[in-house]
Amino acid sequence: MATRRRHPRRRTGDDGRRLHSAGSAVVVALLALLVGVLLNAPGLHKSAEIQPEGWKRDAALAVTEPLASVSSALLLDRPRRGLKAAIGRSDDDEIDTGIAVPKPPPDETPAPTKPPPREKFSPQRPLRIWIAGDSLVVVPGQSILRAVGERRAIEPIGDVDGRIASGLERPDVFNWFEHVSEVMRKDKPRAVVLMFGGNDDHDFMTGLPEGREIDAFGSASWTAEYRRRVAGIMDSVTRRGAYLVWIGLPITNDRNQTARFDTINAVVQSQAAKRPGRVSYLDTYFFFAGSDGGYAQFVENDAGRLVQMRAGDGVHFERAAGDLIARKVLNRLNQRFDLTSWRTTRS
Amino acid sequence: MLFPTATFALFFMVVLPLSWLLMPRGERWRGFIVVASFVFYAGWDWRFCFLLAFSILWNQLFALALHRREDARTRKWLLAGALSGNLALLAYFKYVGFFITSTNNLFALAGIDVPLEARSVILPVGISFFTFMAIAYVVDVYRGDFAPTGLGKFAAYLSFFPHLVAGPIVRPGELIPQFDSPRDPRYVDTSRAFFLIGTGLFMKVVIANHLASNIVDQVFGAPNQHSSLEVLVGIYAYAVQIYADFFGYTNIAIGIALLLGFRFPQNFDAPYAATSIQDFWRRWHMTLSRWLRDYLYIPLGGNRGGSLFTYRNLMLTMLIGGLWHGAGWTFVAWGAIHGTALVGERWCRERPGYVERPSTPWRRAWQRFLTFQIVCFAWIFFRSDSFSDAWGLIVRLFTAWGESSELVTGGVLLAIAIGIGSQYLPRRLPLVLMARFSRLPVPAQALVLSVALLVVHAMGPEGVAPFIYFRF
Repeated sequence: MATRRRHPRRRTGDDGRRLHSAGSAVVVALLALLVGVLLNAPGLHKSAEIQPEGWKRDAALAVTEPLASVSSALLLDRPRRGLKAAIGRSDDDEIDTGIAVPKPPPDETPAPTKPPPREKFSPQRPLRIWIAGDSLVVVPGQSILRAVGERRAIEPIGDVDGRIASGLERPDVFNWFEHVSEVMRKDKPRAVVLMFGGNDDHDFMTGLPEGREIDAFGSASWTAEYRRRVAGIMDSVTRRGAYLVWIGLPITNDRNQTARFDTINAVVQSQAAKRPGRVSYLDTYFFFAGSDGGYAQFVENDAGRLVQMRAGDGVHFERAAGDLIARKVLNRLNQRFDLTSWRTTRS
Repeated sequence: MLFPTATFALFFMVVLPLSWLLMPRGERWRGFIVVASFVFYAGWDWRFCFLLAFSILWNQLFALALHRREDARTRKWLLAGALSGNLALLAYFKYVGFFITSTNNLFALAGIDVPLEARSVILPVGISFFTFMAIAYVVDVYRGDFAPTGLGKFAAYLSFFPHLVAGPIVRPGELIPQFDSPRDPRYVDTSRAFFLIGTGLFMKVVIANHLASNIVDQVFGAPNQHSSLEVLVGIYAYAVQIYADFFGYTNIAIGIALLLGFRFPQNFDAPYAATSIQDFWRRWHMTLSRWLRDYLYIPLGGNRGGSLFTYRNLMLTMLIGGLWHGAGWTFVAWGAIHGTALVGERWCRERPGYVERPSTPWRRAWQRFLTFQIVCFAWIFFRSDSFSDAWGLIVRLFTAWGESSELVTGGVLLAIAIGIGSQYLPRRLPLVLMARFSRLPVPAQALVLSVALLVVHAMGPEGVAPFIYFRF
């Protein structure tokens, strides 16, 4: 009788590992991905939800919405929720698009006000400052922190609160309206430095009031809604008694993007102008323009040395640019507050 | 296209079965894998596919010419031509801004205005890695160590997507012969591949990203806002972050190649357990160390010309290695610290009357501690944007003890402990785990992996930060 002989080749690899077929590898990978996707469905759905508007987001939502439903029905989302709760990040998968902004005053024209007195601060009673915004604020924010380390009358609240890909258009990505209100309530900063808009030059907004629709970027309806949001952030800060320095968006290497940033800057500047003494708008446009008035990646610094101000993407800042913005922000704070007289008083 | 993303998962789940289906048809497989690799590369910027294609054609052309010529003088000129093309690409894309600003500022110190227009060019991802692999190919052909292969195989070698953007730097003799024979689809080391991918994802997404966003970026961004304890822990955290980031990437790359049937060389071997800087470089980014040794240190003369000559070659190799990592003087300083340490160790060993002391556990522990401190000191310059930043950090390390240290949390300390502790695990442990995993039935293997995906995705931050080594 002929016996069937097993193939003598290696079925076991190095160190006693059993080798498997390529088909088995494909099946294991597919099954693992499928179950892994169901286990992580709430997080994947949120990732899809917060993508920029477009076909990729639509496609991702079309896939993740039913997956999230199936995962929930089969209770496969429970382990993830438990794990998130165990590491103290239960809110990670929540999508919160609610915009809670203070109601605007009935009359938008500013009441004539005297410039407020320059309040004194000292190392014993430092000015508490909070710096926040999208990714553009990170480099100038760190420059401000380095600079205030030498000015003992200013005390930062934590590190730079920069959130990548966030802005005022998409509270589903990160809800700044809620976050600003919470920080103002809990930490009570007296000075706030904000920079927003780098991710807001699009048509798409979430968190619109019931029944409201917006048209294209820069249209009257878009501008009205964006103005409402900028004003809401400004009022959340100033009604808690803090002084706000809002850093404007810079010129970029893309003319179209610069034009869109101009639209955003115009909204912010007009809203800041309505809150004199409480909000200061810092126009950065000309800091980074070359000799021809256009975009320049390398600009001479105060010492006359040519330094790289802008990152390779033509939008973000390099360290030297951050230092320049930091000096201007600190000038504004010095104009508004007395941060130096404690030195002479002490001596 | 980053490895830990849904886009890559989709891409790979298409490529994996197709690759195995086409494997028996050599030429079709090579065409397929080159196209897939170019699609992968185009995920960053499609324009740079032309650069990759140029690199393939340029180096293949010179390799064929080198192989055909026998005249030594002509061969030298051909080699010089090939190397010049490769180095010119690197110089333009990676160093042009650095050279121009350095030149302008040097002349400005002397009061001379140099009218060089400063500019920086977008750095094509992975250019340093595929350029080094291309150089290895033409130099090996020049030396007669390797005969040039066909254009399809060379294109597959240089563009093969698992190693394309951040290594490991695979030598032609290690990969091209694997393309010659179809991989056997019946015997794939899947358990090792899945283990490497799983540990790689955990190290990158959980450990590296946690440390970057919870302490490293803050401390290095504004050191004077942080206490000495935060600065100290921040430096250690960066040491673990860069290891977890690069080790994680390499593990994923090796695992993906293995699933496709190909073996890559190991790139890390518990570097923070090294007992000397020389030992560190045998364990850290091993494929780069090997490349620097074979294509830079030995051609410079190696240790064949006396002590001083050897010290010079060591120093030059490390300085160039530093500059390879980035166009900045802080990277050169990082290389100089390692070069000085290597020279110092060698000088100590070569002193008259030097006797190697017997190795004891305490002695090894002390050597490991000391080596780790030197490596961490060098990382300060590697991570800092400027010398003033690095100096500020060092000063802060000694001048702000007793201040509050909110960034030093249990999570940060745990991540550092995992990163360093992983270097001291018994070497048998991963082998035993892989062997046990390999004996599980298919559904159980899939379940283990899906739980690993759950842990990595749930514990990682939202979004994925790019790998540190992509910009080198």
